[in-house]
Parts: sequence; structure tokens; C-alpha cells
Amino acid sequence: MTCGELQPDYVAYALGIADEPERGEIADHLARNCPNCGPGVASAMATVAAMSGIVNVAQPPARLRKRVLASIERAPSSGKLGTLLPWIITAMVSIALVTIGITGRRESGDTSKLQRALPILNDPGTRGVTFGEAGKPSHGRVFVNPKMGVVFLGAGLPSIDSNKTFQLWVIPAKRNPITVGLFQSQSDATAVYVHAGAVEDVTRVEVTVEAAGGSAQPSTTPIVVARLQGQG
Amino acid sequence: MPLQISAKQDDNLARRLQRREPDAIAELYDRFGRIAYSIIAAIVRDNQAAEDLVQETFLHAWNEAHAFEPGSAALGPWVLAIARNRALDHVRPERGALEHPSLFAGTEREALDTDRLQAIRKGIAKLEPKQQKLIQLAYYEGLSQNEMAERIGEPLETVKTLVRSALRHLREELGQTVNA
Repeated sequence: MTCGELQPDYVAYALGIADEPERGEIADHLARNCPNCGPGVASAMATVAAMSGIVNVAQPPARLRKRVLASIERAPSSGKLGTLLPWIITAMVSIALVTIGITGRRESGDTSKLQRALPILNDPGTRGVTFGEAGKPSHGRVFVNPKMGVVFLGAGLPSIDSNKTFQLWVIPAKRNPITVGLFQSQSDATAVYVHAGAVEDVTRVEVTVEAAGGSAQPSTTPIVVARLQGQG
Repeated sequence: MPLQISAKQDDNLARRLQRREPDAIAELYDRFGRIAYSIIAAIVRDNQAAEDLVQETFLHAWNEAHAFEPGSAALGPWVLAIARNRALDHVRPERGALEHPSLFAGTEREALDTDRLQAIRKGIAKLEPKQQKLIQLAYYEGLSQNEMAERIGEPLETVKTLVRSALRHLREELGQTVNA
């Protein structure tokens, strides 16, 4: 198709609602650095941004800013996995979830989270441990790779107040717990959390419930304790 | 903090993000956190999930800022595209996302000016009810035109015509060039 034929569908493409053949044709033109479709789609992206004007503005809770900034402080730079197809990543992590017994539809299809989990799950240096003591509803699996990070897959997590957060800790041998992230559970009481970054000499992984924004050290009894085999 | 940002401020903020200066993400959040949260909350209708997705939005922007082109692309449209895509991923995990920074090269920096946001609201109000419904399905649910046709029980070509016409009208309201 010609650029002129595709032009009426630039905004539909930018909105992610275009169907074939227009969608594929525009993608082809962009891949060829088309001098017409590139600027046309960029302009359409501005239209889509302006369409945020139809949204009723809501006030995010004040704790969210602190939470966002805290997550950034712990975030490593992303690798080349961003180029992997999202559905491949989603499928692979879905398999991991089913393997540990967390079934059902994931509410969060967050691609970036899954992109960060995949290299850890695939690395031969990763150790996995199941957690879930008798009498406690929380269960799941934690994967730890000393050089790459931690993937936490939990289910049956308790309901917590909106001014609280789950906080994930790694416990190195003979050292204080180190926080590796804050997260919330989904409405089905499950959670997936990924910390990408070195976690050396870990003996246990724990989850506590803390005030929004997290704590410097655990201040409550852990609701999850996952001991790595052969450690602590 | 207003959504409008000068080209110089925008470029400066993008470069600070690329240098991974922590106060840059704070400024990005202060500028776009509220509208990102509003978009996400409107789509997922779950405040707790919305908070998770806002966190993921800004983490993604932080991690992908290296691919951004200061001087060419505008930060606001990019961040809001990430936010909307995170929310639509949440309700429709199989949907693909269009948010690579390269897609925003040349994006008008005025996209989020107050008068433009008002123009969109006025433009939507002038649409036929059926077109308004289609725009809602497109923006909040990310339905393809095929899916919209099924949803409202109209032929695909009719839906395509209505959507093209509606979007063309909105672009005209924004004062954007429409050549078709």
C-alpha cells in the first residue's frame, strides 16, 4: 500500500487499534524508515497523547511518588531483552507460574516485569526454592541468582491496608537483611516481583508487611520465609 | 506541575534521565505521574493495580530512556503511551504495545498543552454518539476495529469509516495537518 493510502490509519495505528492489512503495512513502512509514515505516525502519537484530555483526572495517593522513587533507586539498567517479543516472554513466565501452582489469568500483563524475570529464570546459576509452611496460606517459589537477581512468585498473600506494602528482603549469611523491593499483590492474592541486580551469599528470602514506602530493616514478622537449600 | 514543558526543559530532562540522575525521575513523576495514574486508573478500574502499573510505567521510562532522542522526541507523549500500554496490557495481556522511543521522533511538544486537551474534549463532544462510543472503545479498551465491529454489531468497513472520520475530526480540532 502507498503512504497516501495508509495515512488515514496513522492514528488508529498509534492507538494500537489498526487491523490488517493496514497495521502490517504501516509497520513495514516504519521498518524501512519511510520518510512519510515515520513523521506521520509520530504526529499521530501526539494525537493519542492529547486524547488523554478525555480522561477524568484522578489524584494518585501521596505514597505512590515515594514508592516510584524507591523502585528506581534499586533498578538496574535494562539489557537487550527489551527486543524480545512480549508474547514469548509472557508464555515462558506463565509456564513458570503454572509449574509452581499459581494458575489462573494474570491480571498484570506487564511486559517489562516479565522481561526482567526471563534471564534470571533461564540462567543455569539460578536456584529455586518453594515456600509455604503448613497452616500458612502464602505459598509460591523464589528464584535467586547471585549475579542476576531474584524472582518472587507468590500466591495466597494476605490482604493488607492501602497504606501498607509488601517488602522483599534477601538475608545474606551473618549480615542484616537487604531490601530488594516493594510490591503489592493483585486482587487474586498473587504477586510477581523481580529484582534485577547482584544478591551475593543469600541464605534466605523473606517478605514482610511494612508501611508504604518501605522500611530500612524488617519491622514485622515475615509472612514468607524461603530458605535456600544448603544455606542458613 | 504543568504538563506543558518547553523544548529546552524537555531535552534537559531527557538527558538527565539518560545520565540516570535520581532527581530526574522525580521531576518526570511530578510532571506526568498524575495524568499517568488517571489514564491507568480509568482503564483498569482498580486503584491498587493502578499504583503497581504507575510504578512499572516510570521504571520502564527509566530503563528505556537511553533510547530516547533528546531534541527530537517529546517526553510527555512517550510516558503517557507507556502508561496506557501498561494499563491495556493489564486488561488485555495479548495486546502488543507501541511505545519504542523511536516512534516518537518528531512528536509535537505541544501535544499536552492545556488548550489541546480542551480541544480534544470539545472535539469528542461534537462526534456522533456512535463515534464517541468507538473512541471510548479504542482508547480505554484498545479494541481493534474488527473487535469493535463485533462489539457494536456493525460491518468492519462501517466501523473503519466511522473511526477514520472521528480521528480525522479530532486531528482537525487539534489543528494538526490532515491530508487524506
